[in-house]
Amino acid sequence: MGKRFTRGVDALSAPHKRQKIVHEAPTAEDIYASRQLRHLLSYDQDLARTRHGLQSFKLFLDALLAKQGDHEEHVKILKDYLDAVRPTDGVGASPGDGDGDSDRAVYLPDIMQTWSQAAQTNNDNIMSAVAVILALLLKLLSHTLDMAPCGLGICRTLLQKRQLELISRNLSADKGKSFIISPTLRMLREVVCFDGGAVASPLFRARASTLKSLARNMGIGHIGDVAEDIKRPSVRTNAVQFFLSALRYMHPEAKKELLSQRDIVAALTRDFKQDPPYLVSEILGGLRSQILLDDKLAREAKSNLLNVSTLVRISSLYQYRQTTSEESGSTSPSIPDVAHDFLMTACTTPSCGVLRQDSGLYPREIDPNAVIPVAELDELGLEAVVWMNRFKTEVPVRNYVLSNFLQNLRPWSSIQQSELVTAVFRVAPELVANFFLNNKSFSFEPKLSATWIGYAAFLFNTVAMPLPECFCRAPVFPELPPPTSLVLDNILPLPLNQKALVRCLAHKSNIISFFATRILVLAIQKLDTALKLHHDPSHPSPLLWREAARRLVDEFCQRSPGIKDMINSYRLIPEDDILHREAASQLLRLCYEVIPQIALTAKFDVSPFLETALVRLSKQDESDDPRDFALSLKELENLLAIAGYSPGMRWFTASDSLALSPFAMLLKVYVDAPRRVSLDKARQVLGFVAVEHQLVPAHTGRPGLLPLLETLQSLNRSSPDLMAQVWPFLDNCLTRCATSPIKYLEIAQELIQEASASPGNDDSPRAAITLVTVAMLEQLLFATKTENKLTLGALAQFLPRYMGFSAAGGEDRPLLDAIYSKMLPHLPKGKGTRAPKAIPDGVTFEYNTWPLGEETSQSVTKITGTIEDKTSEVVVMSAEDLQRALGVPDGLTPDNSALVKWTQKTADELVDEGYAVSLMTLLVSEHASIRKEALVNILKMAAKVRQSEYEEKEQIWLLLSELAETAREFIEEGPLPSPTVAFACHALAVLRDPLSTLYPKVNLVLTRGPVWNLDKVPLADEILLEEPSVGDSYYSQINWLLSYLVDSLRTPRDLELFHKKRLRGPLLERLLALASNPYMRLPLKTQVLRVLYRATGIEGGSTTLTTRFGVVSWLEAQSARCTNPSEAALYRAMLARIWETCDQDKVSAWSRHGVKASFPSSS
Amino acid sequence: MGKSQETQMTEQEVASEFKSYYLQRATKEFAEDLDKVRGADDFRNDALQILVSALQQGTELFSPEDQRRIVMASSSSTSSSAARA
Repeated sequence: MGKRFTRGVDALSAPHKRQKIVHEAPTAEDIYASRQLRHLLSYDQDLARTRHGLQSFKLFLDALLAKQGDHEEHVKILKDYLDAVRPTDGVGASPGDGDGDSDRAVYLPDIMQTWSQAAQTNNDNIMSAVAVILALLLKLLSHTLDMAPCGLGICRTLLQKRQLELISRNLSADKGKSFIISPTLRMLREVVCFDGGAVASPLFRARASTLKSLARNMGIGHIGDVAEDIKRPSVRTNAVQFFLSALRYMHPEAKKELLSQRDIVAALTRDFKQDPPYLVSEILGGLRSQILLDDKLAREAKSNLLNVSTLVRISSLYQYRQTTSEESGSTSPSIPDVAHDFLMTACTTPSCGVLRQDSGLYPREIDPNAVIPVAELDELGLEAVVWMNRFKTEVPVRNYVLSNFLQNLRPWSSIQQSELVTAVFRVAPELVANFFLNNKSFSFEPKLSATWIGYAAFLFNTVAMPLPECFCRAPVFPELPPPTSLVLDNILPLPLNQKALVRCLAHKSNIISFFATRILVLAIQKLDTALKLHHDPSHPSPLLWREAARRLVDEFCQRSPGIKDMINSYRLIPEDDILHREAASQLLRLCYEVIPQIALTAKFDVSPFLETALVRLSKQDESDDPRDFALSLKELENLLAIAGYSPGMRWFTASDSLALSPFAMLLKVYVDAPRRVSLDKARQVLGFVAVEHQLVPAHTGRPGLLPLLETLQSLNRSSPDLMAQVWPFLDNCLTRCATSPIKYLEIAQELIQEASASPGNDDSPRAAITLVTVAMLEQLLFATKTENKLTLGALAQFLPRYMGFSAAGGEDRPLLDAIYSKMLPHLPKGKGTRAPKAIPDGVTFEYNTWPLGEETSQSVTKITGTIEDKTSEVVVMSAEDLQRALGVPDGLTPDNSALVKWTQKTADELVDEGYAVSLMTLLVSEHASIRKEALVNILKMAAKVRQSEYEEKEQIWLLLSELAETAREFIEEGPLPSPTVAFACHALAVLRDPLSTLYPKVNLVLTRGPVWNLDKVPLADEILLEEPSVGDSYYSQINWLLSYLVDSLRTPRDLELFHKKRLRGPLLERLLALASNPYMRLPLKTQVLRVLYRATGIEGGSTTLTTRFGVVSWLEAQSARCTNPSEAALYRAMLARIWETCDQDKVSAWSRHGVKASFPSSS
Repeated sequence: MGKSQETQMTEQEVASEFKSYYLQRATKEFAEDLDKVRGADDFRNDALQILVSALQQGTELFSPEDQRRIVMASSSSTSSSAARA
């Protein structure tokens, strides 16, 4: 420490004893003239006088800055003073101080000399006072345009060697001498900002002095319990403000250099949490505008600043608790908000230097387009991709800074942190799996606490994030699918494991099961998206992607709770918790839609749930919130959709707990619903079920169920009391009609004949009647005998109205008149309950949009629009699309290696892993030697299986032996017919599973005799003609048959078997008839089309189909009949395929150019 | 709210109305559990805000059409009862 000098005038008289380090206030005088000022500031050996002068000038400048006193006069005094001391050319310049004249000129030479002397004599007070007045003076001059050149001159003077040494000395003063350091930093700040940073570059060039001890000074913060006073900023505050100003005016290269000083960067944020709010805001604002958003600044420079520790320190501001000053508190954003905004920008904008571009769900270091030999892919499938299973415990990422940073956040305890993490996940999807793999400490074990809820909310957000398009950054899918474990980690992050989720679903607190249910709903929706991406038609190697999709589903099912847990959870939800019920029903519905193979494993009878929902909805009264009704309706819709997937739904059987059948209950819900609740889906279901059960005809242009709906709604509004009487009668009619439609069809036929025979009625034979109307007529007779007057009175209101709406809906009027005239005698004739004598005329639909072609055309389009639009819309399918839709790989491709592969395998493996099938397939080989080898091996295999412990060994042995016996005689002649071999292969799968519905039939074939007839297609007759031996399995058996027939059609010889004349007609003809079944769903029809497609690939196939089976008209008829445009496109594309592959001359001659006319574009 | 006024409700209005309905419904259904959470040791600082936002997340499971359908139902009872009267 240097010598202590006396301070101030009073100090002169003080005795020489140990002086206290107190800053005695210097004396001062008011300034009235520039001359006086010049005198006061002139260099003087007497330091007390010097200080007096400096202090007077300081007060003068303070007043000027505060615009106190005679401002104009003071400005003039200052101006005169500065003009007077302005250096003339060469005057005051010291050689070697600068490069040019202006740089050499010394402004305020007296003050600079005083400063120099103070430094020599270690006079801290004057060293401080000079810095103070220079800072103030520069601040003032920067606002005064005409004095700016003088200010600039002062700045340049300060950057001369002599002054730089003084600055350096001031800056590196002892830590305790903040009264020197702070004003110097303020002065430097004014210098760097002066005239828009005019001297920022030279200032940076002199960084050895100007940035001296900056990192240390940034560490000299405010000490004390009271918050830092904004008017008395600490050294740290001044240093930081200088640094930020420097950043603003420095060019990018200088900034880069500055940011490479690690000590400065570290010091900037080290004590962040202790800084006053305004400083924190300034730092974050400055860094944001000068670094983050500076496009000219290199990425590496930004990375230098935004390393993990800086990010963690900034994130510590989420817990910043100092309050801002009262005035600014209400308007400016809080510090956590500012920090959050900063981190959001820094971590999610690629140009900010933190975020690096990843490749989506493909980890670093792997090549998603690696070429893998086809042979390896064929043999090993997904296993041929070496890295496929490598990332289950660790994922290498490109964003290691973010990866480390995210581990320091607590997304479960703060909304903003959760938002930050998910925002980072969104821009760097590679981090999702990485985050949860690194963060294993946190489990999702259910506990009713704020933390668990926060964690659940965070996981919800994570699952809700969309998957990257094409799973990567590229615009097209890579060659290879992403690692399945990583896709799964994005769908169901690791903490959401089966154990935790099962416990959540079964938890006694409903809110926990509710949260888990919602996450699962999202997860299954996301799984659906992932599967669609896997099945995208543009994949270069679709088989591999399909295998990956299967694997994804398998792994998903291992991590997600089973369907039984979901059903049980749904069962436990209290009756009134409709939000929870809706979510749980949606979850079940999604299971049926996305992973049906899992959903159908549980025997879930949806009927009781449906009934409960219907009962609750039918109890709805006007005091309840109609929004609750609409929400319950959503649950009902989910259940209705599930009912659609379970074929066993009994729509017309009332259970003990229900007064009406589920169908009538749904009808009642529809009618009772608040008027403006949208019921489209319920109406669609009602219409669909009514058509399926033949209650109403299916033709387009007919009103279907609408007259009944309209009648019930209008009656419900005009006479709600009568409804209670109408429902049982109506339910009875609907149920009877649905259970025995043939009876009512016959009655309808009689009625139509009667009506057309009656005089004056030349009705066309096309007249039809809705069956439920017939049922009403028939049941009315019984009602008159059993029902009371009240009911009959209600029916007297209901029936005429219904007939009226039926007539208005376009039903055959004379026929309705005839029916009504038969009803009329049974309706009461008493006063007040008398039914009208004729069907009311001119009724209009008020609740439902009908009829067609009248003024209400706008609403009409709503009903019919879907159908008509679809038919008018022409979808065109290319040959490639057709190949994709109908082409099936040959299931009987002989692989000679099968002869040796099986020998070491156990019986289980032979049957379950396809070795037996491969061996049997060799019987269709072109080479006699292979066939013979195969025959011998099949017999050996049969013996091996019989000697094993395999459960179904007897049947398998029998199948193999019979196939061998059948083949033995013809082995020399050529390949065995494909249907025989395909049957054996498909029968093997049936024998493995005794629960298969085909088990009895296959065994019947086996026990019938030792040799099969090669001219026949085994089991075709039995399945097509006979009743299914097990329950309601007709369609599943047809499905089995069709998939085996697709494999059976490979060669012209096979085709012969398909069109050979048989007792019940050729097989192809029967298949075409089968597909004409209106109740057959599209997947089965597509199977038939696949058989046809196979036929078109065989020489002469298309010609045979056209000339012998009329397939052209058949396809045209199918196309015209279907309402689904894509299905129609399939038929049309098939037609084109037939024409392209047939013998066109022959077909044209055969049809006299009729067929050719159907293909104008092809010809 | 008149019919025309309702049909003119923007997506945002519907979403915010639905959000408030969803929250109201959820607090009603899980009142007991929510009380327990509020009494938990770790219920501090942002916990209430987190709880509210966690409950409201569920609105994402409803499509904009479903949200509109449910929100629109709100005035149906008034209109239908007025019609009956």
